[in-house]
Amino acid sequence: MRISYAWIFHKRFKMLKQKCLQAIWQCSALIVLASLLAFSINYLRNERLHLFGNWTPEARLMDSSGKRLDISLPEAKKLFLQQSVVFIDARPQDDYEKGHIKRALCLPWNEVDRDFMRVTEDISPDTPIITYCDGETCELSHNLAIFLLDMGFSNVRILINGWALWKEEDLPIESGSSTAGQG
Amino acid sequence: MERRRSSHRIRQFDCRTRLIRVEYFQWAPLEGPTEKMDKKRNNLSRFLYYGSRWILGGVFIYASYDKILHPAAFSKIIYNYQILPDGLINLTALVLPMLELIMGIFFWVGFWMPGTVILSNILLVSYIGALILNLARGLDINCGCFSTSSGSSINVETILWDAAFLALSVYLTVSVFGQGNGRVPKQVHG
Repeated sequence: MRISYAWIFHKRFKMLKQKCLQAIWQCSALIVLASLLAFSINYLRNERLHLFGNWTPEARLMDSSGKRLDISLPEAKKLFLQQSVVFIDARPQDDYEKGHIKRALCLPWNEVDRDFMRVTEDISPDTPIITYCDGETCELSHNLAIFLLDMGFSNVRILINGWALWKEEDLPIESGSSTAGQG
Repeated sequence: MERRRSSHRIRQFDCRTRLIRVEYFQWAPLEGPTEKMDKKRNNLSRFLYYGSRWILGGVFIYASYDKILHPAAFSKIIYNYQILPDGLINLTALVLPMLELIMGIFFWVGFWMPGTVILSNILLVSYIGALILNLARGLDINCGCFSTSSGSSINVETILWDAAFLALSVYLTVSVFGQGNGRVPKQVHG
């Protein structure tokens, strides 16, 4: 039996075409199957995730009662100068020791269970607290603020991208570890 | 002269079509004593093929587990990547981990392989693209590669891991699309 190049090419092309068609319908079927399963499981979940969430900055920075949690830099600066607010740094301890807002306490979000009682024992529940971390999308200060609200502190705000903004404005900073934040 | 022609014939074997070259423009079904050599090559191919499938399956299942349990946390991670429009964030946070889980299971059982390998290539290329984009932007965000908990920020190492998984996935694509029935044949000629 003698076979030409054309025959080989034809056979390979046919095989590849068949595989490509299979791949297309299988990809579509996989996505449909995954969507159906995901939506069903989400429907049965106690805390359902909305299919189309509200991701506007206002919605993201609200507590459960609908109050906005973020605070502007001028407002934070004013409270800082009045010394009527406690700043809490939510970044890891290494970053805190390299530099932080003057008089800020260190309560890393990753170690919050361990350090919470020790760091907050001298803070009364109605004291204004401002949490901060570094970066526009940093979630540490947000998570810490929600946690502190849940723990009973009534006046907690978030300074978004706090560390970078504070340094840009040349406001007072210091480095090293604080007494309250020591591990 | 005879010896040279014989070795020339063996080199010109096409394992996909199971044909051997008999003249310059002519091919014929394989006849001849090349079984030992083919068996060796076949064992290596099968080892690589099944190994890649098991590794990729494990990776996808492991990556999906925590994200399925914590969809809200995963949606925040997707938001932080700042790539998808707001309307698609929650949908992706729900569907993507489930897709990874199903693909992982299919890699393990060898079901719907052409579709699974193509989707795996698409996903891995998208992940690498998203990681490189955010690394270039200088955003210090949680990777969300295998877990929704904070502490796994994106870096060059995560990109290299994804590239290694992509290499396995591309190898599987070549294997699946190069074979007649989507599996490595047990015998090259038979």
